[in-house]
Amino acid sequence: MDIQYVGEHLLPGKLGQFFIILAFGMSLLSTIAYYFQTSNDKNDLSWRQIARWSFRIHTVALIGIIAALFFIIYNHYFEYNYAYSHSSRSLPTHYMISCFWEGQEGSFLLWAFWQLVFGNVLIRFAKDWEDSVMTIVGLSQVFILSMLLGVEVFGYRIGSSPFILLRDAMQGAPIFQDPQYLVKYIQDGRGLNPLLQNYWMVIHPPTLFFGFASMVVPFAYAMAGLWTKRLKEWVKPALPYALVAVMVLGTGIIMGAFWAYEALNFGGFWAWDPVENASLIPWLTMISAIHVLVVYKNTGHSYFTALFLVLISFILVLYASFLTRSGILGETSVHAFTDLGMSGQLVIYVLVFLALSTWLIVKNWKQLPITEKDEHIYSREFWMFIGALVMTLSCLQVIATTSIPVYNKLFNGNVAPPVDPVGFYNQWQMPFAVIVALISAFAQYLKYKKTDSVKFWINTGVSLLMSALVTAVVVYYTLLGGLKLVFGENYHNDNPFNWMFVILIYACVFSVITNAKILGEAIKGKFKLTGSAVAHMGFALMLIGATIAASQKRVISINTSGFDYGKEFDSKNKRENVLLWKGESMKMDKYLVTYTGDTTEGVNTYYRVNYKVVDESNKVVENFDLNPLGQINPTMGLVASPDTRHYLTHDIYTHVSSVPKREEDAAAEGHDGHAEDEGYNPPSTYKVSVGDTINFDEGKVVVRGINKDVHLKDMTINQGDIAVGLTLAVIGNSDRKETIVEPVYLIKNRSQFTLSKKMEEFGLKFKFTKIIPDENKFELVMLKKPGKQKDYVIMKAIVFPYINFLWGGTIIMVIGFAFSISRRLKELKDAKSKDQTEKMKDVVL
Amino acid sequence: MKKSHIVGILVIAVAIAAIISTYGSSSTYANFAEAKKSDKELHVVGHLDKAKDMHYDPIKDANYFSFYVKDNKGEECKVVFFGTKPQDFERSEQIVLTGAMVGTEFHASKILMKCPSKYTDNSAEMKEFKGTKASI
Repeated sequence: MDIQYVGEHLLPGKLGQFFIILAFGMSLLSTIAYYFQTSNDKNDLSWRQIARWSFRIHTVALIGIIAALFFIIYNHYFEYNYAYSHSSRSLPTHYMISCFWEGQEGSFLLWAFWQLVFGNVLIRFAKDWEDSVMTIVGLSQVFILSMLLGVEVFGYRIGSSPFILLRDAMQGAPIFQDPQYLVKYIQDGRGLNPLLQNYWMVIHPPTLFFGFASMVVPFAYAMAGLWTKRLKEWVKPALPYALVAVMVLGTGIIMGAFWAYEALNFGGFWAWDPVENASLIPWLTMISAIHVLVVYKNTGHSYFTALFLVLISFILVLYASFLTRSGILGETSVHAFTDLGMSGQLVIYVLVFLALSTWLIVKNWKQLPITEKDEHIYSREFWMFIGALVMTLSCLQVIATTSIPVYNKLFNGNVAPPVDPVGFYNQWQMPFAVIVALISAFAQYLKYKKTDSVKFWINTGVSLLMSALVTAVVVYYTLLGGLKLVFGENYHNDNPFNWMFVILIYACVFSVITNAKILGEAIKGKFKLTGSAVAHMGFALMLIGATIAASQKRVISINTSGFDYGKEFDSKNKRENVLLWKGESMKMDKYLVTYTGDTTEGVNTYYRVNYKVVDESNKVVENFDLNPLGQINPTMGLVASPDTRHYLTHDIYTHVSSVPKREEDAAAEGHDGHAEDEGYNPPSTYKVSVGDTINFDEGKVVVRGINKDVHLKDMTINQGDIAVGLTLAVIGNSDRKETIVEPVYLIKNRSQFTLSKKMEEFGLKFKFTKIIPDENKFELVMLKKPGKQKDYVIMKAIVFPYINFLWGGTIIMVIGFAFSISRRLKELKDAKSKDQTEKMKDVVL
Repeated sequence: MKKSHIVGILVIAVAIAAIISTYGSSSTYANFAEAKKSDKELHVVGHLDKAKDMHYDPIKDANYFSFYVKDNKGEECKVVFFGTKPQDFERSEQIVLTGAMVGTEFHASKILMKCPSKYTDNSAEMKEFKGTKASI
């Protein structure tokens, strides 16, 4: 018989599930209708009407899904697996939005939402491209919505629904035998990952997914162009969408970097983690695609490369989502999603789009407008093409390394990723970055088709010389002695000097100066190049910032008072964490650092660390507090989030790496009247047998045996009394010295007594409280003095010099993209009105 | 020969170099026996030996944590990690260590640990801890 469960709210889930099916069905119908509209008679628009209406119904249904899921999370209906797994009662409302992207289902929903937005924009504006482009976008939407279905077909489960009930998700768990399970056991959800409870995490994923979703539009235009034999025409309308895609995806990636820097404790903004790479890969190919598209538009060269890059960018988006969602990254990445058993479905999604695009290319191969002409070497198109190619190569290197787990799976290999991934990637990516930065500069002096070489060399020569001077200054202040400005007078640089940094900075400075010059000319009247000049400047500044901040960052919390483990260790390892006693100051670089206390807000504890700089005349020059967060999370252990002091030239970044354990009930038990145990931490009780070991912070206690022959000083043991000693050996970790302690259990005149024994060196006290004969075990109570253990915190502090170049550069780059988008949109409009004027002329004449 | 051909050949050369170098500098998942033979850094997969001592005394040295790991072949080795002890280390189910042998000890620069999730049996959580990179 079915169990009647108490307290469940099944309506929103059923409604949500209905909306999923409706949205899926309608997007499928819309796709099919658009397909027939494209391939059928152009005069009969009935298919288009069906397609539009079904897409609109699908829009409403999708919003319904989101509303239903939010309703469930907002009302804490933990009978639903999604709410139970990703939220909790204490979660503030603004972070409930973040619940949507902690789980795979929610993030698919987000992706579907953005594709829906683009779909509606296209229906409104795409004009004669609507039918064909929407067929492709619709097909992609069908695939994404199928990931949410959660229905079984022929024994295969398709998708994973966010509306699945907890009792269905954890089938067979005994608590679901009880109809009252919800009231009795499931009072609260597991909560949102504390690292996601950050305001950047509210806006970073939507931005990133907006970028991912927008990649489908240029792809759909290219596919539609091939399909409807408009082999050249698709380029113009696709270009603004491609620019939107890179602008938004770029912003999303860098927001992720900023979140990592602000909220994670790995001490940086980019770690070449597979999940980060997965978002970077399509961005790089789409940037390349845009450059080649512009080349094609202006010269007619490089058609196939442009087409290929546009198509592959979207396929790489799908591949990236396969990497992060299939669980295949398991052993190489920490923040990939866990597997939901949908890898097969994801593979099909990738393969279908790969097969479709390959088929369309092959089918149209003969008609593709591929030129056999050779570009002139003093032409902009040639170098733009080379630049795009280098960028694609850099992307290929990232793909090859990130895909190692995929090879292992395919060929049953046992290859582990590079031991030092950051070093490995940097070593490869730096030369690529140098070439790209150089080309992004001098290509601006070139014209399409052919350029006067003398004029080019004069311009380039002057810029190169100026850049050399500027680079010298920049390098002095960012790599050499000039860093004293940031680190204080006592700074000496012990990093090995790396020429590659100088070359990279030179290339970037060259790019900034050249593009600034172009920008100057653009302001005077040649508006066209504004966007590219600004975007290139931003990109170069970003590279400078990333290079300096990552290479010159300096851990200032070097532990010098550490235990001596011999010379070998010291030379090889900097000790990067320091222990700060509460109230005791420690000198770290130019800072006097003091741990002054902590405040607890809910589950979060903020450790207040004061930084002071005092000059020779004992005047305080700088004084500020940082409050890094430490949270002991039941599922994740210590979750540490840094706090950062931002200056114009540098950041001081601090996080706790270990905190002393706090007994939560210490305060509650403290005043129970156990006067003799005062001054000790709350007791721990152990059931032990001979040979057992109990560990404590500075050593261990080994149960040696039982002493039945106990002699007590001022007590006589009579017939019928029992006195047993428990022989314990206390062994210190550092000196390995053994001390024997023997607490006694006594029954005298039918009353039980325990005679406790102390071990002063470690502040220990033992009580032998019970003998458990049938288990052959003894109950031992151990108490430990907090004694010298004052409050402390172990922390790490890093100074990042000139990191603002990175953030500033990104913002400038995004502004540049915005300029380019408005230019391309204007071109589209102009072209259209020109068309219309010409048509009018035709009519008039 | 056309310029585009030269460019094409160059591109292919760099691409091949990139792929070869990827697999050249990648390592394999190894065990302690292999680590002892090699002086390179590599990955070792194993699990924590809970019967043996773990040593972490933050008051003496916050950057020294030692423990014993049994690799997948059952061989045991002392591991030293120059960083703080990860919370809940005792609960780890599987550990992936990155590092190299120094004498009889394995010096780890990175620990990736897999913990059983408290709530469900089939999902595990991965955590990563980076120690001090050995810089010579």
